[in-house]
Amino acid sequence: MNIAVCIKQVPDTETKVKISDDKKSIAEGDINFILNPYDEFGVEEALKLADGGEVTIISLGPDRVTSAIRSALAMGAHKAIHIKSDAVPADPGATADALVAVLKEGNYDLIFTGKQAIDDDHTQMASLLGEKLGIPAVNVVVKLEVSGGKVRAEREIEGAHEVVECPTPCVISAQRGLNEPRYASLKGIMAAKKIQIEAKDVNPGPNQLQIVEYNYPPQKSAGKIVGDSADAVPELIRLLNEEAKVI
Amino acid sequence: MAPVKPSFSKALFSGVIMEDLVFPYPKMEKEEAENVKMMIDTFNKFAEDNIDAVKFDEEAKIPEDVINGLKELGFFGLNTPDKYDGFGLGSTGFTKMLSAVSEHDGSTSLMLGAHQSIGIKALNLFGSEEQKKKYLPRLVTGELVGAFCLTEPGAGSDAAGIKTKAVRDEKSGYYVLNGTKLWITNGGIADFFTVFAKEDLEIKGEIQEKITAFIVTTDMPGVSKGKEEKKMGIRGSSTTEVYFEDVKVPFENIVGERGKGFKVAMEVLNSGRLGLAGGTIGAFKEIFKTTLDHINQRKQFKKTLAEFEVIKQKVAQITIDIYAAESMIYLTTGLVDRGDVDYSIESAMCKIRATDIAWEGINECLQMAGGIGFMKEYPYERNVRDARINKIFEGTNEILRMFIALSGLQERGEYLKKIGKALRDPIKGFGLLTDFAADWVKDRIITGRIRDVHPSLMNAKKDFENWAKNLRFTVERLLMEHSKEIIYREMISYRIADAAIDLFGMIATISRVDTRIRDIGADKCDKEIKICNAFCEQAWRRVRRNLLMVDKNNDDYLREIADFISEEKQYPFNTEQFF
Ligand SMILES: Cc1cc2nc3c(=O)[nH]c(=O)nc-3n(C[C@H](O)[C@H](O)[C@H](O)COP(=O)(O)OP(=O)(O)OC[C@H]3O[C@@H](n4cnc5c(N)ncnc54)[C@H](O)[C@@H]3O)c2cc1C
Repeated sequence: MNIAVCIKQVPDTETKVKISDDKKSIAEGDINFILNPYDEFGVEEALKLADGGEVTIISLGPDRVTSAIRSALAMGAHKAIHIKSDAVPADPGATADALVAVLKEGNYDLIFTGKQAIDDDHTQMASLLGEKLGIPAVNVVVKLEVSGGKVRAEREIEGAHEVVECPTPCVISAQRGLNEPRYASLKGIMAAKKIQIEAKDVNPGPNQLQIVEYNYPPQKSAGKIVGDSADAVPELIRLLNEEAKVI
Repeated sequence: MAPVKPSFSKALFSGVIMEDLVFPYPKMEKEEAENVKMMIDTFNKFAEDNIDAVKFDEEAKIPEDVINGLKELGFFGLNTPDKYDGFGLGSTGFTKMLSAVSEHDGSTSLMLGAHQSIGIKALNLFGSEEQKKKYLPRLVTGELVGAFCLTEPGAGSDAAGIKTKAVRDEKSGYYVLNGTKLWITNGGIADFFTVFAKEDLEIKGEIQEKITAFIVTTDMPGVSKGKEEKKMGIRGSSTTEVYFEDVKVPFENIVGERGKGFKVAMEVLNSGRLGLAGGTIGAFKEIFKTTLDHINQRKQFKKTLAEFEVIKQKVAQITIDIYAAESMIYLTTGLVDRGDVDYSIESAMCKIRATDIAWEGINECLQMAGGIGFMKEYPYERNVRDARINKIFEGTNEILRMFIALSGLQERGEYLKKIGKALRDPIKGFGLLTDFAADWVKDRIITGRIRDVHPSLMNAKKDFENWAKNLRFTVERLLMEHSKEIIYREMISYRIADAAIDLFGMIATISRVDTRIRDIGADKCDKEIKICNAFCEQAWRRVRRNLLMVDKNNDDYLREIADFISEEKQYPFNTEQFF
């Protein structure tokens, strides 16, 4: 099977995000960028399913994203396409247009994305790709079987698992639990260096979304310790009820 | 090996500043830097799932599946060339890697370090092509684990005093090895030992005992191991005795030349000390991070601890110390990666400075944590225990100071030629130093000044030049006064070494910050400039004190007091009330 995995480079979860002066973006200066964790599940699943076929990594963004692409290659992916763009568009639809242009050139049986990117959390890409390519998209998948041109996918829904079937090609968005992503071995890292990343210039589609401004979340107020024995329970319940209004 | 250029610091004792060795501050090649970053990322991921420092410490063991996981990912082949299936990291990359490993667990770092920095290093540095082909591919996968066997019950600091004996039998083509090695890191898990033993060699018609290095593997009959030592820290790492009883070792297993084993051991340790220094700082940075979280949350007197000046002083001091130590370490690894420079005393300087500041600084982290610092539930006490060994092994910090001072003094040209032999005699450990090509310095334009640095670092630069000059004057005076007796004036040597370490720290820090300013502009370096100037200010004052105390001191008193107390064999004074 030939499989494409669309990946995004995102700031490390430990990043202390700083908003730029014009409030329209985040300051990239000291950020450590990583491969979006949910995309790792997609890469792992693709590698497991490829079975002699090729796994192609596709990512859109500035030059720095090649390091996320290398991480995916180091896990064992075979090919990579870098869609060059000064920045990642604010509108996932625009990114999807560019990805679709590249995906159409390949002949993929399956396309993976992560369930969401942990930076902007739009959670749209798999659906957008499915729609624009005219193929099914299955979101938040925790278990996957592929055989005879058919996909059987288990997806997480509120309080239950839903099992769906659809024909290939299709788009799958990967959720934690789908698999245990392998660690890139040092051999894999060195081998990945030898793979030529194909650079493409594709214009992202028009931005229909615009970022107005970023703001820091309101400061959390300090916690309160009511006591440390069973005697404190009534007071705790009272506070949770009357002050915090959560019960 | 190619002839080496003299070391920066040795030349400094002669008042020569070999500025092209330290400016600009070395950078890793982009390609290697990317590789190292990815390797660290992989290690971090593996560590989050598998490395449990608390458990390794409590159970005094790194679980086998964790060791196997590290082997499979390639972490036993970091610094072996790719020709032998390794990953070819240079000194900088390897040291960064050990530093990253230590952020998770000191024992794991020590296990990887003992294997690669010292266990298989002699093979990598001095092994023949056949030996490398035979062993390295299995060592990089961890199928074989390496260890370094120098120390014996009777020979620690005085490593040249080892008793393990190798008797050569020309007819059979084998040596017969007998002896006991003590406190061998990885002893319990190793299969491949670099062993140092003495053999009788005929030199100029005389039979002399000389040290030779051998490869000994556990499949040879007569090799056995003692039980695991119970240790204060780095408890997850394996430390055992290793015994050799009539072990037959083929001639082809000699590493390097016959009788040159001591040089092999010292070269291995020279490079090993850098990994140790880097690892020490990695652990230090991690516990510092934990401490910073604590002091910014914990409130007393209605303020966070971080708001109090005494706490600020500790935080600033740790920051300055780490910055300077890392500047020294990665300047030196850069020298190693150039490949043609004698870095023996710089690596000793890095080891001393890193392990001293880490020991003090980690204790300060525990102090800032207060009572919880003392509790097993928190990582502070374990970090204190783990950090303690670093001042002892791979050359104690005292011995390394003597090494630095005497190497520097020995290089001091004309005067020293006369006393050179004496210097070399009593402590054989310093024998390596004779390699130094004094002529190399002489042929160069002797300069006591360094190039212009950014104006914000000008004072630091002038202080460096000034105190480097004073080091030379002091050294000259010392040699006139004490001549070969200097070998017995350890208190003075200690101060000279400390002065030299601080001077190296100054130039390393200045170079690092100046290079960064050139790269990204001074306005983006204001924090680094402050740190550099603060360090240099502290450092030159220490240099001044140490150099002044070469002449003005009460060493005579101290010697007398120590002598009569040693004679008493206890502290003999009682307060008057009890009489
Ligand atoms: C956990 C652990 C792991 C180790 N791993 C290894 C290993 O893998 N391979 C290996 O070969 N060895 C290993 N060692 C041994 C280690 O290198 C030695 O312990 C070290 O070199 C010091 O030797 P010593 O313990 O005999 O101390 P000594 O030499 O007895 O020194 C005791 C004290 O006296 C001081 N001293 C000694 N001579 C002088 C002098 N001339 N002037 C001033 N002060 C002096 C020392 O600085 C020290 O403070 C390990 C040790 C430990 C504890």
